[in-house]
Formats: sequence, C-alpha cells, structure tokens
Amino acid sequence: MTNSNSAPEPTVRRRDFLRGSLGLGAAAALAGCGFSGDTPAPAASTSPSGSAAPSESPAAKAVIDGDLVYFNWAEYIEPTVLEGFKKEYGVKVIETNYDTYPGMLAKMSSGNQYDVVLPGARFVEQLRNQNMIQRIDKAQLKNANQSFGWGSYFDNPWYDPNSDYSIPFSMYTTGIAYRKDKITTMTGSWADLWNEEGKGHIYVLDEADEAMGMAALLLGLDVNTANPDDLAKIKDKLISQKPYLRAYSTDDINNLAGGNAWIHQEWSGDFLNFINYTAEDPKIWEYIAPKEGMPVNSDAWVIPANAPHPGTALVFLDYLLRPENIIKNIEYLGYPLLAQGGEATYAKMVEGRPSLAIDLKNIDDTKVYRNHTPADTAARDTVWTEVKAS
Amino acid sequence: MSTDLQDAVAATLPGAKRQSATRTRLWGWLLLPPAAWMIVFFVSSILIVVALSFGTVNANGRPAFGTSLANYQALMNTTYLTVFIRSLVYSVTTVVLCMFIGYPVAYAIALHGGKYKNALIAALVIPFFASYLIRMYAWSTLLSDEGLVNQALHTVGFTDGVQFLNTPGAVVAGLVYGFVVFMILPIYASLERMDIALIEAGKDLYHSPLRTFFAVTVPATRAGVLGGVLLVFLPALGDFVSAQLLGGPSTFMIGNLIQQQFFESQNQPLGSALTVVLMLALLVFMVFYLRATQRQNRET
Repeated sequence: MTNSNSAPEPTVRRRDFLRGSLGLGAAAALAGCGFSGDTPAPAASTSPSGSAAPSESPAAKAVIDGDLVYFNWAEYIEPTVLEGFKKEYGVKVIETNYDTYPGMLAKMSSGNQYDVVLPGARFVEQLRNQNMIQRIDKAQLKNANQSFGWGSYFDNPWYDPNSDYSIPFSMYTTGIAYRKDKITTMTGSWADLWNEEGKGHIYVLDEADEAMGMAALLLGLDVNTANPDDLAKIKDKLISQKPYLRAYSTDDINNLAGGNAWIHQEWSGDFLNFINYTAEDPKIWEYIAPKEGMPVNSDAWVIPANAPHPGTALVFLDYLLRPENIIKNIEYLGYPLLAQGGEATYAKMVEGRPSLAIDLKNIDDTKVYRNHTPADTAARDTVWTEVKAS
Repeated sequence: MSTDLQDAVAATLPGAKRQSATRTRLWGWLLLPPAAWMIVFFVSSILIVVALSFGTVNANGRPAFGTSLANYQALMNTTYLTVFIRSLVYSVTTVVLCMFIGYPVAYAIALHGGKYKNALIAALVIPFFASYLIRMYAWSTLLSDEGLVNQALHTVGFTDGVQFLNTPGAVVAGLVYGFVVFMILPIYASLERMDIALIEAGKDLYHSPLRTFFAVTVPATRAGVLGGVLLVFLPALGDFVSAQLLGGPSTFMIGNLIQQQFFESQNQPLGSALTVVLMLALLVFMVFYLRATQRQNRET
C-alpha cells in the first residue's frame, strides 16, 4: 500500500472533516507516538478539583517572550487574524497541524513543545489530569470579559472547573440533516434515522460516541452509559438500524454534496458550512434538533506546561478575544465562538434556521461526551466494534 | 505496514538469493546503512508493536507497556472472527479478479506490445504515483449518486441512476483497482523472461493455441503469478481505505478494526494485539508461498 508514504497527503481541514477519523495522517500521528510510564493518573471519571494542581510554576505574564509555536487543526482560524498577530507583535508563527485528537495527544506526550493548542473538551480534561497544561491567569487577559463573567456556561465548564486551565473557543451540536425534496415524513426525533423513505440513503457518523449517544438518547439513556444492560440495548438498537443505512461515515459534507445522503446524522458547524459554501441548492436542506436532546461538544485553547513562550501564548489568546477577531473567526469557521461579542454575528448567520441557534447561557452538559475509566471505555468500544462488524 | 511486507517479500523472492559474490570489505560497509535502516525503522517498530500488544491503557488514554494477556483474551470474540473471515473473502476475491484482469493485460503487453511495451507499462504504472488514498477518494466522488458518472448515465437515459458505492462489491472493486498493478508487473516480468520459442515449439507439436497456453505458457510463468498473488493478497487483507471510503454499513475489514483501535478508541495495545495476530496469519500464507516457489525451483 502506498497511501502512507508516497504523494503528499491532503491537508485535513476541520471545516470539511471535523475530526479526521479517517486517519489520513496515520503515519504522521504515529510518528510522534509517546508512551506513558507507570506514573499514576487520576481516574478520568472524576473531575479534577480546582485546587489540586501539584508542582505549579508561577503563572506566566502576558508579555511577548518569543515566537508563537501554534498547534491546531489546519485552517481552523481566520487567516488574516493570524497575519494580524504577526504584524502587530513582530513575531513569527510556527504552525503545526494535527488531524485527530489522539494524534494531537500523542505528539504532546512525546515531548514536542507548543505554546498554544486547541484540544476538544474531553482532551482538555485529560491534559489537565496529566498536568500537561498550565494555569491561565485571567488577570493577564484584557479581553477576558469576552469569555467570562457574563453568565456563559463556560465560566465553569465540566471539563475544566472555573476554566482555570483553558479558554473556551468554539462549539457544535449533533443533529440530523435531511433533504426536503426527498423526505416528507420527518418527525423531529432521532428515530428519523430509521426513516422508511430514506432507506439506503441514511448515514450515521462513524464515531462511537455519536452513534451510541444517538441510540442512548432515543432509548432514554445517558449518552455516556457504560452499564452492561444499557450497552446491550444500545447495541440491539444500532444493529436494527443497519438495513436503513448507506454507511457509517464522518465524511459528511461529501456525502451530502454527492447526493448519497438524504438523511445524515450531522454536526451543526459542518451543516452550516455545507449550505453556505458547497450546497447547490441550500433551500432543500434542513437541520433538525431532535426532541430527545442534542449532544453538545466544544474545544478550548490551552497552554502546555512545557510551552517555550507562555507569555506570547497569553498575548495571542488575549488577541483572539478582541471583538473584531471573534467576529472574523465566526464568519470564517461557521462555528459559534464561546464569547460574548460573537453571539449576534452567529445569530445572524443562522437566521431562519432556529435548529442551529445556540444559547451559551443554557448549555445542557448532561449530553456531552465524557472521559471514561479504561474498563468502561473498553466496554463501550466492544459494543461499537460489534455493531460495526456485524 | 504492507509496504514493509512487500519489501520483505521482495527480499525473499528466488532471484534475490545470496550469490557467492566476492565479499570484499567494501560490500560489508555498503550494507551497513540499509541494515541500520531496516533495524531502526522496520525491526524496532515490529518489536514495539509486539511489546505493546501485552500493554495496557491508563486512565488518561495513554498506552503503557506491560505483561498482560488481556488484549489477546479480548480477541477471543466471534466478532473478530466474522471480520477476519469477511476480510479473507474480500481479499481472495480480489486476488482472483486481479489474476483474470492482470494476466491478459501482462500477456498482451509482453507478447504483442512490440515497441510500445515500455510505454504501455509506464502508462500502467504512472497513475500509481498518485496516492492510493487520493485515487480512492476520487472514485467515491465520481461514483456518488449524483456524481459525474451518474450524471452521464442520466443523460443517456438511465434516469434511475445506479448506486455504485457503499456495497461489498464496491469495496472489492476498490481493492482490485488499488492492487492490480502488483499482479500485472510480476506476470509481465516472467512473460518477458520466457523464451518465445517455447510457444512456437508448442504450436509445432500441433498443440492448439489454448493447449499451448496451458501446457507451456502458464507453467513457465507460475513464479510470476504466485508473486503477484502474494503481492495483491497481503495488502488487500490489511487494507482499510477501500472499506472506509467505498464500503457500506456491513463491510468492516480487519484493517478498519486496527485503525479504529489505534485512533478513535485510543487503544493502541488492543490494536497491536490485532496487528500481531494478522501478521501471524499472513506468515502462514508466506510460508505456503515460499514452499510453492521452492518446489518450482527444484522442478526447473
């Protein structure tokens, strides 16, 4: 096989490939594979308490102390925002990209040094538990009030109490996209992914959490359940769906654009990008917020504990929080940013599509995908493997 | 992984046998860099995979070395057997199809290509300079329900369109497309090496063309066919791209399983155990191949 070492790989852009689970960068991600030794790690299921952060070095000050070593999804920032930072502060930006969160974690664990990184929420929790990120002194950020102190859920998010170690960035919900010209019998429930009219044209996201979470919501269970009875029910439910499915896939935008998908379990930001930039006829597309509830997931900026230039990192995070930069990023990314100044911009982008609207003060954190203990992770993974293998 | 296997296969092909060449010190030194390269990047990575297959995952999803058999115990599950058998069926089908496509192509080029031989071989090989992944991605776009192929079909009257994608057939077609060149080249090479006079001799002995083909040409090119079978079978059995991009809800292959463990599930130890089991299974086929070629060497 030649895919891992011949022609240059396509850049995985988060905009059209949310979490790159295809493993395009298999070689790249594994190259930085790091192994942990026997260092005990706190149980993942218990959130870290805000005070228990051992061996804390004094918090960094927001003063430029070198170039910015920047680690993020490819193109997951408005280009002129990054350019503006270089010009204004006279620093270089040394950019590296990842295409999966596990790949990101592997590179960080194997000793690569970065100043700013954008992990998903559960990876923020993992990094915090492993003491791999540093506390961020909010007093150093002139624009901290954009993110904090106005009643946003992210003042005290589930993955990082008080947002002590992270600055929330963007978020998305998981719902259902469908074609109004093909399907007339949607009911506004996750059961629509078993729709007779759409048989053979239905896609479920190829991610254990999303697929199992959807089935759990439909069955009235916790999206994070690892209870054996619950898992057995989820497994049966998902296997009962197979005759309706075209495929499991995270290549959502291509599935929608190519006409293969009439009904697609879908991420809100991808849907918005699809109808804004790719769809030939956006009017035939609708996004449903299923009545059983929608999973919500987010990401946040962190500064690694071994960051070579934490001062520059703080200046950069402060710069991103300027209202004009928030607006530019929202318009470019299509994801709502978790900051006060961006609410109106996002609301305007999703005008007429209430299922995409987001209220940052009322986030339901019972429907976020959390970290599990190794035993629970293995139990859930076995079910997902059995579903896909059947 | 499969690229390494191909290297290993190439090294064991009959022609590569150690000649009793004059062993100067220079040769020894010249062998040092490739040997070091193989040890650093090939042997050591296999050792890490084997070691990790006895490891565990800690509470933060990081792999750790260990001495646990739990990963192998977890594989004692009929689910994995189902996936393995499915992969086996897909890759054997792929090999057979590649043989039926590859042999005539190689034959036509080698015996009737004339002065265009090299150009034709180049035309076959050049598309393979583009990444396999990108070519598969291109197919999935071209063959989608409202893609270019279906649009063309629509204009010539097939208004219902054809669903090409997301079926077992699509996965096998992807594998055949991806690896057929590995069948053509060894067969072409063995046909090139064959003395054409043998075919003429067969005809002189009043064999029909068909009988000449089966009595003379096929035996003379058996090594090439066997090489092609192996070179197609090994990567096809471990492939995950075709099933991922062209497959449906029930076309999960063993390569997908391994890929899922390494990335989405963050369970590198279980992925390693699967890899070790797959390598052992492939080893069985390798031994079979080596014995078959040895027998042939003895016969000729």
